[in-house]
Amino acid sequence: MAEVTMVQAVTQAIGRALEDDENVVLMGEDVGLNGGVFRATEGLQQRFGSARVIDTPLAEAGIAGTAIGMAAAGLKPIAEFQFMGFIYSALDQIISHAARMRNRTRGRLSCPMVIRAPYGGGIHGPEHHSESMEALFAHMPGLRVVIPSSPVRAYGLLLAAIQNPDPVLFLEPKRIYRTVKQDVPDDGVALPLDLCFTIREGSDITLVTWGAMVQETLSAADKLSELGIEAEVIDVATLTPLDMDTILTSVEKTGRCVIIHEAPYTGGFGAEIAARLAEKGLLHLLSPVLRVTGYDTIMPTPRTEHYYYVTEEKIIEAARKTVAFPETPEDLTPHQTNVA
Amino acid sequence: MKDFNLPDLGEGLQEAEIVAWHVTEGDNVVTDQPLVSVETDKAVVEVPSPYSGKIAKLHGEEGDMVEVDTPLVSFDEGEAKDAGSVVGDVQPKGDVKVEEAAVEASGPAVNKAGKATPAVRALAQKMGVDLAMVTATGQGNVITAADVETAAADIAGAEPLKPLRGVRRAMARRMAQASSEVAPATIMEDADLQDWAEGQDISMRLIRAMTKGCEAEPMLNAWYDAQENGLRIHNKIDLGIAVNTDAGLFVPVLHDVGNRSSEELREGFNALREAVEARTVPAEELRGATITLTNGGPLLGKYTTPIVSPPQVAILGVCRARDEVVAHEGEIAIRRRMPLSLTFDHRAVTGAEASIFLKAVIEDLAQAN
Amino acid sequence: MTNDFNIPYTRYVDPEGVAISELPEFAKDTSRLIELYRHMTVARRFDTKAIALQRTGRIPTFPPALGQEATHVGLAAAMAVEDVLLPTYRDASAMLVRGVTLEELFFIMGGDERGFDYAGPVHDFPQATPIATQTAHAAGVAYAMKLRGEKNVAVTIIGDGGSSKGDFYEAMNFAGVWEAPVVFVVINNGWAISLPREKQSAAETLAQKGIAAGIPGEQVDGNDVIAVTEVVGRALERARKGEGPSVIEALTYRLTDHSTADDANRYRDADEVSEHWKAEPLLRMRNYLTAQELWSKEDEESLLVEVDAEINAAVDKFDQSDPQPPESMFDYLYAEVPADLAEQRQDAMARHASKGGAHG
Repeated sequence: MAEVTMVQAVTQAIGRALEDDENVVLMGEDVGLNGGVFRATEGLQQRFGSARVIDTPLAEAGIAGTAIGMAAAGLKPIAEFQFMGFIYSALDQIISHAARMRNRTRGRLSCPMVIRAPYGGGIHGPEHHSESMEALFAHMPGLRVVIPSSPVRAYGLLLAAIQNPDPVLFLEPKRIYRTVKQDVPDDGVALPLDLCFTIREGSDITLVTWGAMVQETLSAADKLSELGIEAEVIDVATLTPLDMDTILTSVEKTGRCVIIHEAPYTGGFGAEIAARLAEKGLLHLLSPVLRVTGYDTIMPTPRTEHYYYVTEEKIIEAARKTVAFPETPEDLTPHQTNVA
Repeated sequence: MKDFNLPDLGEGLQEAEIVAWHVTEGDNVVTDQPLVSVETDKAVVEVPSPYSGKIAKLHGEEGDMVEVDTPLVSFDEGEAKDAGSVVGDVQPKGDVKVEEAAVEASGPAVNKAGKATPAVRALAQKMGVDLAMVTATGQGNVITAADVETAAADIAGAEPLKPLRGVRRAMARRMAQASSEVAPATIMEDADLQDWAEGQDISMRLIRAMTKGCEAEPMLNAWYDAQENGLRIHNKIDLGIAVNTDAGLFVPVLHDVGNRSSEELREGFNALREAVEARTVPAEELRGATITLTNGGPLLGKYTTPIVSPPQVAILGVCRARDEVVAHEGEIAIRRRMPLSLTFDHRAVTGAEASIFLKAVIEDLAQAN
Repeated sequence: MTNDFNIPYTRYVDPEGVAISELPEFAKDTSRLIELYRHMTVARRFDTKAIALQRTGRIPTFPPALGQEATHVGLAAAMAVEDVLLPTYRDASAMLVRGVTLEELFFIMGGDERGFDYAGPVHDFPQATPIATQTAHAAGVAYAMKLRGEKNVAVTIIGDGGSSKGDFYEAMNFAGVWEAPVVFVVINNGWAISLPREKQSAAETLAQKGIAAGIPGEQVDGNDVIAVTEVVGRALERARKGEGPSVIEALTYRLTDHSTADDANRYRDADEVSEHWKAEPLLRMRNYLTAQELWSKEDEESLLVEVDAEINAAVDKFDQSDPQPPESMFDYLYAEVPADLAEQRQDAMARHASKGGAHG
């Protein structure tokens, strides 16, 4: 069985969906002949033809709008946006129509489409190519926001997204497109949406994260283990609708929580989870809920991008402070702001 | 409003039936715009609007007969009302509120409550432990769960909680307030009563001595306004006299002691005392003291640190006179001495001023009568 | 390489109601003409009623289509049942011809989503409000039709104001590249709220915007229902035969305010409006039919009575209906209500339970 990277798992899932359901179409800029600028759709036009794997003109609002029309007319379009940073011109269509088609027709019409976009930084990309704006979409009722963190979950969650009768934002953390290989059987089996995945068990602290940060968080958890702190790591995977029960159950056990995301601090999705912890898990908390996030700045251009990164070190620091609270470990400065 | 009458429809017709209105009250119409379809003998005709304007009233409903030259439609004459929107309704429903511009935000408040996480607070509540009684050992004075448990064990060894009510509760509050505001300092000194004549009324002597002190240094007969950072010196001396009863400590006020005769003062003082014992003192009589006299307690005590009651700036505490061995004119003698303790609010009064006051009090007390 | 282009213009019946050339085949069927006239009358009476309801506070803001009846009726009447219409908020008159009921329209105008759950044209879209977004949907619908080998066509409506928007260009561009079976009907009624046509674009016609996307464009007298039906019909045929999309600009006039909350007197001249009343579509058709002795006073009166009765019956149905219960806010966001929303849904239901079916 071949081991595949995340980007290959994406290709595999789309191929599977195109094969199994004649209503599925794939569309976007450069997705056909070129196989996608990240090769996420490599070979698919050759297999399924240009009527079902469509190289579209350059027009993000148009891609979203035509995909919505197709979806309401019975197709299941997978619309690729080359980078999350280019999705903004499609926001009107996504928010005003994709998210509302079912609601405003009382279920007569619906919008079973997937909007895929590579997202996040750390690839030394030029300006606008490193956006992490998942919180914008998480705020819109009627959408689902799904973010894979591994090849296996990319395959299973993307299949689930394609099969789902409602619109799904599928944000692919491009920094880890090729960094991990896993054995991903092409069995057409979807993973469940609307659920968190507990990918490491521990009883001292709960680390909640998603996307590329899952990698850093797992590494941090290993190092924390050497320090005698056993971390439970939760991959949120579906941001909305949120499975808060899994997170609460974990925090009831550990009493401590650190949330990690690459996106900026203020209004990031970590704030939603922290607020819900304060609302429903307050009496189990032994220390403040920390968020380890990007700064409230624009992602710097490549030369200074590294200042911005959410690193393993930052995660370990935050976890150690949380566990030691109210003491501060001697080698660390007292907690000032979110970023450890 | 100006009326538009049904025009002559021709062929001698005097009336027509309204078949269908094309406009509604409130519509803006223009010249020639069809207002209504009416039926004549020959046809259904549309009646166009004679001018542009706003329809105020339609005269008649579908099916009604309208006579020629009677009002068909009335037009508004005034200015069209601007809806101020293109969708929805954004007109105010009632009076428009006039609001003051917001007061500027102040800085963060200072919180003196104990620091503890929610889980520790919940624990304290469950164990019946007041966080104020817990000694914090966590870094940054944070109360830990272990601290709460320690405090719980200590409390377990004490008597059950006795709630403070009524006068005692008022005292607790007053003293807390004083403690947080005043900057107290106390001078202690003795008065020599050896030369007193027979039958001196000690209360009257003390009251008189207080007036002498106030005359010598009026700064101590004053109220300190912390907000304005100023001192209001009073012209009259309204003397608060602390009285201990079973129910607790009361401080009724003897007004204007500087201008009353000793008989008046005696009567007033006794009356007040009885009223206090009987708990019939009107609230008025417990307020407005400009300076206070108190005693240290009936049983024992020599020097005390009485607590100034803001906005007053001074309080004189007096203890039992006793015979003491002192050096007097170079020889050992036994003389009758009364210990005095003067607490003053050092925000407003200096030690020198307090000394002047006290000196005058002592000198007057030393008199034979 | 062809750089010249020609935008043809079509009219059959002039404002006085006189045919200026031989009418197209379908117009020789008098029952068809009367049917078109009837549809326009329903549209006109519906509009009048809706305004009256708004003025008496029974429905919220309403955007009337007074003056545009021939365009709406013509384009919808030319469509086949299996075609799909993607309208805007002003296109109730077209929707009525497509089989959306009067009752459904009053629900829509009355602010009740159930109105968009059409029983009749189940594939037609709800009214789009964000301007021009529906044109991209139409290109997508058309693509789906073509992919499935259907002979159906998507028809979408956009205003002169909407034609300035990027979504419109993108939609035409996609449609052109895909040779998608879609007809873009630009209803040029002269005004986008307060902006007159000449300030909306420097292009001489709006139809020629299709040329830039490789799509044929033409103009039609939007107040001549026969011309509109014929021109749109031809465009539909081309699309069905696989000859691709078209842009049709219907020239008409907005005889009233942008909406019931607008006052056009603020920005346009009453005299201009009066002039356009002389060219209005119902008058023209009525005059033509009367001159052909196809229509009489009795016909007119009984039509008005019948149409008004239908409309009033629909209003009654709406009035007698109860608003949807509070859970209706949640039940149509997703195919199934997610667990994450269960608590909020309960809260909404509990808060409004005791109020029963009272007013929303």
